[in-house]
Amino acid sequence: RVSSDGKPEKFQPPPKPVIIDKQKQREERRFLSPEFIPPRGRTDPLKFYIERKDMIQRRKVFNIPEFYVGHILAVTTADPYANEKANRFVGICIQRGGKGLGATFVLRNVIEDQGVEICYELYNPRIQAIEVLKLEKRLDDNLMYLRDALPEYSTFDVNMKPVSRLDHEEVPVNKLQVRMKPKPWSKRWERPKYNIKGIKFDLPEKKMKEAQKWSQPWLEFDMLREYDTSKIENKIWKEVSEGLKN
Amino acid sequence: MMPIWTKSGKKHAVTLLKVQDCHVLKYISKEESGGKTSKLLVGGKNASPFSKSESAMEIFKEAGVPPKQKVTMFNVTDDAIIKPGTPLYAAHFRPGQFVDVTAKTIGKGFQGVMKRWGFKGQPASHGQTKTHRRPGAISTNKAAKVYRGKKMPGKMGNIYRTSMGLKVWRINTKHDIIYVNGSVPGHTNCLVKVKDSKLPTYKDCNKNPPFPTFFADGDEELPEDLYDEEIFQFTDPSVTYT
Repeated sequence: RVSSDGKPEKFQPPPKPVIIDKQKQREERRFLSPEFIPPRGRTDPLKFYIERKDMIQRRKVFNIPEFYVGHILAVTTADPYANEKANRFVGICIQRGGKGLGATFVLRNVIEDQGVEICYELYNPRIQAIEVLKLEKRLDDNLMYLRDALPEYSTFDVNMKPVSRLDHEEVPVNKLQVRMKPKPWSKRWERPKYNIKGIKFDLPEKKMKEAQKWSQPWLEFDMLREYDTSKIENKIWKEVSEGLKN
Repeated sequence: MMPIWTKSGKKHAVTLLKVQDCHVLKYISKEESGGKTSKLLVGGKNASPFSKSESAMEIFKEAGVPPKQKVTMFNVTDDAIIKPGTPLYAAHFRPGQFVDVTAKTIGKGFQGVMKRWGFKGQPASHGQTKTHRRPGAISTNKAAKVYRGKKMPGKMGNIYRTSMGLKVWRINTKHDIIYVNGSVPGHTNCLVKVKDSKLPTYKDCNKNPPFPTFFADGDEELPEDLYDEEIFQFTDPSVTYT
């Protein structure tokens, strides 16, 4: 090959390969359980610090896995009145509430055509084990509408085997649109206040438009309601990860 | 307030009280005060000297202590007198003791008779004219007067009230925090007076408390957390029943 200048061509090294470091990507994805974030208020931060120390202490002894609303969990509790002194309940997590040591989560299942919801406390010492059977996030943070949905959406096999899952991957989001029983419901889920995206509304257009009358579009711009938790979360994440390493 | 679990698996709600810069301010002898026992003035939580009167500042100057926001009196027996200026710590109390907590209740302002005294009021409908939350009759015909102390609308709250017989579950000596069973009068971060319980059932419950008080520069070295025997500590494995 002869270049335009007439001199021999300069050696062009091949382009450097772009190495996507998957380990770094894995570290970037970190999960802080929502009960660690303190609520907005006039309480002394020392109280939250002491509560967090207790929570970290409990997590060192007993493993509380990472889970979101929509996961299917199996919880074994110690029960003095049960046959083998232990009680196992499988269900889908519909709600995670409470902050600090009193954090709770509600599991729902339909057993022999009877819907059952049990509210467990995360830090209750009677809980022997929490296993995550199936990981999947849903479109909403609160699945209370499953009470008014057809029972097939809340039934889960009690002897379900845990679904294997590759670690360090994004938690899959299930975009399931749930079908509801006929109205009346326990709450008017079509109203914008609940902001539900996981229901397939079969209501006429007129009703959906009427429900929009209760929308409050100014709420998202209300500055007094803003609670930016990013800095607090970073601090608490460092504290918690250091506490768990020891 | 926080939940706490016992070794049998029961849950109790607990209030956290912080002992913040408490010092003994003054000793008043029996003859001076004119009571049955001698008294000790104790102050808590440092405050700025600019909002204190001259006479109040005198007591703080004599004790050699920064000015305090709250000053209370404790009746003390003669063998429990402490020198003015000694700091008081949370380790003065031990888990398993019973305690009375006094504080000013949350002020609700001028309130009607239904909220203040729990009257039932009148029905909402069936012909009631402009009468739904009123007290109704205030006395009888024969009395021909209204008795003193008749429950009527007025300012509610912002008065001192005591919760008696509260169990101390846990003490944090590093941050000076007392974990007390149940709820306590007052809003969050309000100033509170904690005394040994005077209820007759708990007369013999104090087993070897630090007497007269816990001295930080003494020989005793306490662990960071002192727990009651029945508390489930988070270092233990989960509770099981056999």
